[in-house]
Amino acid sequence: MPIKNVVYRQREAGQVLTDLSDYRRAGGYEALRKALTEMDRDEAVYAFVRSGLRGRGGAGFPMGRKASFIPKDSVLPAYVVCNADESEPGTFKDRELMETNPFQLLEGITLAGYAIGAVRGYIYIRGEYEHQARILDAAIAQARTAGFLGQGVAGSGFDFDITLYRGAGAYICGEETALLESLEGKRGQPRLKPPFPAVAGLYASPTLINNVETLSTLPAIIEHGADWYAAMGTEKSTGTKLFSISGHVMKPGNYEIVLHDTTLRELVYDIAGGFRPGREFAAAWVGGSSVNVLGPEALDTPLDYESMAEAGSSLGSAGCIVMDDSGSIVRSTLRLAQFYRHESCGKCTPCREGTLWLERILQRIVDGEGRMEDLELIESLAGRMVGRVLCALADTGVLPVTSAVRRFRDDFVHAIENGGVPRPEPMMEVPVGG
Amino acid sequence: MTAAEVLAHIEPIRHEYAEARSLILPALKYAQTEKGHLTREDIEAVAEATGFSAAYCESVASFYDRLYLEPTGQRVVSVCVTLSCMLRGSDELMERICDRAGVSHHGGTSEDGMITVQEAQCLGYCDHAPAVQVDAEQTRGPLSLDEADALVDELRTSPRPDQLWR
Ligand SMILES: Cc1cc2nc3c(=O)[nH]c(=O)nc-3n(C[C@H](O)[C@H](O)[C@H](O)COP(=O)(O)O)c2cc1C
Ligand code: SF4
Ligand code: FES
Repeated sequence: MPIKNVVYRQREAGQVLTDLSDYRRAGGYEALRKALTEMDRDEAVYAFVRSGLRGRGGAGFPMGRKASFIPKDSVLPAYVVCNADESEPGTFKDRELMETNPFQLLEGITLAGYAIGAVRGYIYIRGEYEHQARILDAAIAQARTAGFLGQGVAGSGFDFDITLYRGAGAYICGEETALLESLEGKRGQPRLKPPFPAVAGLYASPTLINNVETLSTLPAIIEHGADWYAAMGTEKSTGTKLFSISGHVMKPGNYEIVLHDTTLRELVYDIAGGFRPGREFAAAWVGGSSVNVLGPEALDTPLDYESMAEAGSSLGSAGCIVMDDSGSIVRSTLRLAQFYRHESCGKCTPCREGTLWLERILQRIVDGEGRMEDLELIESLAGRMVGRVLCALADTGVLPVTSAVRRFRDDFVHAIENGGVPRPEPMMEVPVGG
Repeated sequence: MTAAEVLAHIEPIRHEYAEARSLILPALKYAQTEKGHLTREDIEAVAEATGFSAAYCESVASFYDRLYLEPTGQRVVSVCVTLSCMLRGSDELMERICDRAGVSHHGGTSEDGMITVQEAQCLGYCDHAPAVQVDAEQTRGPLSLDEADALVDELRTSPRPDQLWR
């Protein structure tokens, strides 16, 4: 099996690392010691740049480049913000990190903080992860007691602390500027960009925002070197990536694989156990739900950023939702449209109204009241949303809908001509794998 | 909850934020742990403790799904209905839980005031689909229909926790 546990050190260690002593025995905080004693700040940023690590929250922006955008001459303090909102449908990789390996995240945030000269890090965790929040609370307390947070981190001259901030149920707070608004005690609605957070983020200060997995990767990069990390994967997709896989597969779970080494087919069949007897692959939303849906022709696509783009989709958060031929693409598409309608923050009219209409049109198709013109209506409606909104919720939220109507047009036509789609028998009997 | 109690919760963390406004959400979440929803008095206590107006604090609270401005049952059961859970039977599970709790299939609060059932969007437990969360504390799955009945019965009879983190 092409599994390689670089970020999931807890799996490599074969035990949960919620105790600081266990984390240290597994090599924890070696990277921070190395950075504080052997590297200056620019060298740390340069290591992140050379590693080629791309942001794991969905957009895939190079992490080191983002860190290099933080101005050095600002009179305001700089901050690191960790995006632990993890609300993208099908994505649960960060949950496992926080649950079983919280110190690696704290170490990663501290490394990022050192590299950009930050005074504090914030972890914004979704309210539904109360269990994980308590584990992080305990880890932060242990790290403070041991001197890995606070004044003079690990005996150095670097002062840095971390605050955990609990959200309260809003997908949109995963969008980075909405997250900052929420962290500032406001309604979680996205800001107009620019300015970007690197220049004016939290409290208008320079702010580096990265996903849990992105930050949890930094210790390995510092400890083993950027070249070691960049040697895995391809030039534009370096390193390993955590994949969450769920839906109709037999062994749903999180799996860490080297980018490009594994195809979608191998992930679905070899790693995640394939389907129930007699069932076949029908569709996959590989990068969470805010992506173009793919059919069986994409099965031999290698899992990396470029190949997924070439296949007409995107790697996104790598929350791979898989449906077999017992499912209904029309109903699944409606369900995703309902998600975006529910989570639209309402600030932009095209998104607020558009997501509502997409849901209504799909609902009437499912209910057997659809018309053939509805398929064109979906296209034109989506076309009038994209590019006219403040954030990517609408821009990427229409993708699973438009791509389904294009790729699986026959299923929609069939639903319109045959009185809708009955609710299929769900898959209920299979236990948890991974 | 009183302003003094809210203040006792936020005072130790005040120094962690450059602006006091950031304390509003932690204060609201904490104030809600007493009754499970935010009453007028709770909002006013948060306003007094943080130094912002009650109208502002309420407008913040109203944005978030997990802050409740209307009374809820003693326990809130959130049934994930997003795609991964749907493929594994969340619609059937939602209906079963609603039936057992005695509320409509859209969810709601049971007549005895013990249980609120609501739909939730992806809980981040898709590997445990179909997944259900009790308040924000406990997430269970995959839940069979029989286990769903047992869960509702268990919540009806088990004592309410001291604090309700939702
Ligand atoms: C609607 C929406 C929801 C998002 N949700 C998340 C999320 O839950 N977690 C996350 O890390 N990034 C999320 N993002 C991406 C963030 O805006 C941002 O790109 C990311 O935190 C940057 O970190 P990275 O470069 O390490 O990926 C979301 C974006 C959008 C538009
Ligand atoms: S696109 Fe939608 S979610 Fe994003 S800011 Fe506009 S209304 Fe809010
Ligand atoms: S879809 Fe239900 S937990 Fe993710």
